[in-house]
Amino acid sequence: MRARQLNHLWLLISLGAILMVSAVRILTGAHGIDSIGTIRAAIIATCPILMAAIGGLWSERAGVVNIGLEGQMILGTWGAAYFTYYYGPWVGVFGAALLGAVGGLLHALATVTFGVDHIVSGVAINIIGLGASRFLAEAYFTDLEGGGIKQLTGLETPTRVTIPGISDGAEYLADKHWFLVSDLASLVGAMTTDLSLFTVLVAALVIASAWILWRSTFGLRLRSCGENPAAAESLGVNVYRYKYAAVVVSGAMAGIGGGFLALVSSSGFTTGQTNGRGFIGLAAMIFGNWRPGGTTAGALLFGYTDSLQLRDSTSVHALLLIVGIGLVALALWRLRQGKTTTAIVMGALGVAFLVWFLTTDSVPKEFAGMTPYIATLLVLALAAQRLRMPAADGLRYRRGQSI
Amino acid sequence: MSATATSDAVLLQGIAKRFPGVIANHDVDITIRSGTVHALIGENGAGKSTLMKILYGVQKPDEGTITVDGQTVTFGSPTDAIARGIGMVFQHFMLADNLTVLENVVLGAEKLHGIGEKARSAVEQISTTYGFGLDPDALVEDLGVGDRQRVEILKVLYRGARIIILDEPTAVLVPQEVESLFDNLRVLKAEGHTILFISHKLDEVLDIADDITVMRRGTTVGEAKPDSITKHELAELMVGSELPSPETEESTVTDEVQLSLENVTVADARGRRLCAEVTFTIHRGEVLGIAGVEGNGQAELVETIIGMRKVATGRIRLGSEDMTAWGTRARREAGIGYIPEDRQRHGLLLDSPLWENRILGHQTQPPSVKGPWIDRAGAGSDTERIVKEYDVRTPSIETVARALSGGNQQKLIVGREMSGQPVLLIASHPTRGVDVGAQAAIWGYIKDARRDGLAVLLISADLDELIGLSDRIEVILRGRLVGEFDPQSVTPQDLGAAMTGANEATA
Repeated sequence: MRARQLNHLWLLISLGAILMVSAVRILTGAHGIDSIGTIRAAIIATCPILMAAIGGLWSERAGVVNIGLEGQMILGTWGAAYFTYYYGPWVGVFGAALLGAVGGLLHALATVTFGVDHIVSGVAINIIGLGASRFLAEAYFTDLEGGGIKQLTGLETPTRVTIPGISDGAEYLADKHWFLVSDLASLVGAMTTDLSLFTVLVAALVIASAWILWRSTFGLRLRSCGENPAAAESLGVNVYRYKYAAVVVSGAMAGIGGGFLALVSSSGFTTGQTNGRGFIGLAAMIFGNWRPGGTTAGALLFGYTDSLQLRDSTSVHALLLIVGIGLVALALWRLRQGKTTTAIVMGALGVAFLVWFLTTDSVPKEFAGMTPYIATLLVLALAAQRLRMPAADGLRYRRGQSI
Repeated sequence: MSATATSDAVLLQGIAKRFPGVIANHDVDITIRSGTVHALIGENGAGKSTLMKILYGVQKPDEGTITVDGQTVTFGSPTDAIARGIGMVFQHFMLADNLTVLENVVLGAEKLHGIGEKARSAVEQISTTYGFGLDPDALVEDLGVGDRQRVEILKVLYRGARIIILDEPTAVLVPQEVESLFDNLRVLKAEGHTILFISHKLDEVLDIADDITVMRRGTTVGEAKPDSITKHELAELMVGSELPSPETEESTVTDEVQLSLENVTVADARGRRLCAEVTFTIHRGEVLGIAGVEGNGQAELVETIIGMRKVATGRIRLGSEDMTAWGTRARREAGIGYIPEDRQRHGLLLDSPLWENRILGHQTQPPSVKGPWIDRAGAGSDTERIVKEYDVRTPSIETVARALSGGNQQKLIVGREMSGQPVLLIASHPTRGVDVGAQAAIWGYIKDARRDGLAVLLISADLDELIGLSDRIEVILRGRLVGEFDPQSVTPQDLGAAMTGANEATA
């Protein structure tokens, strides 16, 4: 009952968003905001963030805050590059998961066995990940073909597929720039043209994670460790073991996200190419209220703004209008709920964005680069009040501490 | 059933358990007959909980034997005890709030019926058989205390327990909820289950138990049948001396208003009202008691008066001054003392010495400070005074608060809050979890202060305490004051009915 209402709400919000984007596109003539190319780029930008976020979901559902996602992702980029160079891209994906899992294991060892503060351990892992990847790159990639002390390019990428009939048809419709029809066609087109099988794997991993965490015995026990570990222990759940499993899987997921960056987003390894995506993933998970559906929506939002900055500046300019309308709509909704203060702040921000849109013709390039981070801040500031994290998330647990 | 009722379910013989520096249990002998409700009573610290943890496999006894259904057993962990058909319901519920009833029940026992439809129907069946009336898909956080307790019992039954240990199950319940718990227990007994019921509430024990065992200072000191012993005899057996009572003497109420609330409404972040249009006054020399089932807004009301929560609408006056907009520090400096509901979370720094704890809440006033600096000597000597006057049993004022027993921690807090001539004392469950001796002492301090003209707001779940100490009792239900009672004439049953809204239809 509760779930069905939620699904309806999500459906309505998605539909409203598509309608708004479509209307803005017609109004401004910035057809780039949802062209096939933009959506493809958005999907590619989303996948690494989404994998980091799903990694965070695994870990935090078991009660361990993993801000080491960034470091585990970096380890994943190196693992993907190394294993792809010698054994091909699919072994590369496995290598990314392996290196990420090593980072996760380190975090589990520190937080679960030794009871180190989760944030301290996470920060350490981020630093270790960055340092280790630099060292490993210099040690192993310098003498390789396409390699250097900071990079390894020219890697083989996972297979891409295009579904012939649908892809062409969707592209034809999308180019017509019709209201709504073309927008939907763009979506279909982006998913049927030159789609990397790695993207399909990411989608499969997200669905599998949601299924395991919420529908299996293993998942129930894992989540109980994040809600009330003492209760779980009193019922014979080995809390340490489940926390270990969760954090190692978390690292592997983040590692795969790093692998996606190296193999699909850029077809090559560069040190530091994650550029904060692990943290954005964490933000996406929080935005998604520690649920898989919301987390995916958050990752898509961040992925979209991330990709848009690389596109033409008219699209970024049109984005101002979308953000403005969105904020004003949210403000009205809050006003109806009786949240006057929040409504006023949001409304003022929304109006500011609208004024900005109306008084300018373009957005400075430097600002475009900041879009994803500003979006992160705005979204979290607006969503933070209704979030519910696992009750024992981030708390140190010692066996037998309360019974 | 009658055949098994005569055999023994559990036999504890010569049980002893020592912790570094303490003997928790020694020479404990208990015989629990199958198919009965067996009550284990004793003061706090008498060793009841340790004994039950031994029976449930959480701790291992140093000496003695445990016999279950005629077989001698040793338990390495609760899992072994569960395998022998023993289940335990802890005093502090072991439930994950954000999971459903079903998820909480099947957790750890997924092998029995999985976690899907089969498990759901098994849970529903148990719930119906014993009249629990639980919805498997409800979130535990949406349930009341009584229902949560039923979830805990359901958990134990789901695992096939025949012997159920209930650790102070009525501590968190109002009389009506206690009645329905007892109805559940009677059904369980009729179905052949054995129940071990731990309590220190004698009326309840006499009501439900078939056999009673009394513990004092770590050992069993007597056994009794409820029909051949009086409450008074039991009490003397339990404490080894005369029971104290919270009776107040003649009224000291003046007509000078010390605290007044006018239509105070408090809301949470989502705009839900926690307290709605609360209006009352407390005079100098008056104790106003607030009765209510936990979670009905009394905690929020207290936090509002001390300034930890904001008032949505309404006014709060201290004497003649409007203090609605004051911060917590200003309120404390104006003479409000506060005994918080949870002394370990809100009242003390457990790992700090007593003299530092003395400074808490008085960090702007002498003798704790001199100018911008902490006055160690002043705070220290004042702590010595509190230790002496309030009989805080501690080796020294350098001892950390954690090392003190609950009663002594509470006496330290009472002493601290009474220092600096307060005009208003907010006492939230002032004797919760303290032993009978400390309880009597704390009652004495409150009575003395009242005689000296202190206004007291008393919140308590112990209805005898409320009736004994208060000059007036207000009942809070769902954030509203729903009735005023005169403690001279009210009974716990009347209060319980008002607290649960049972008399709403007639009122």
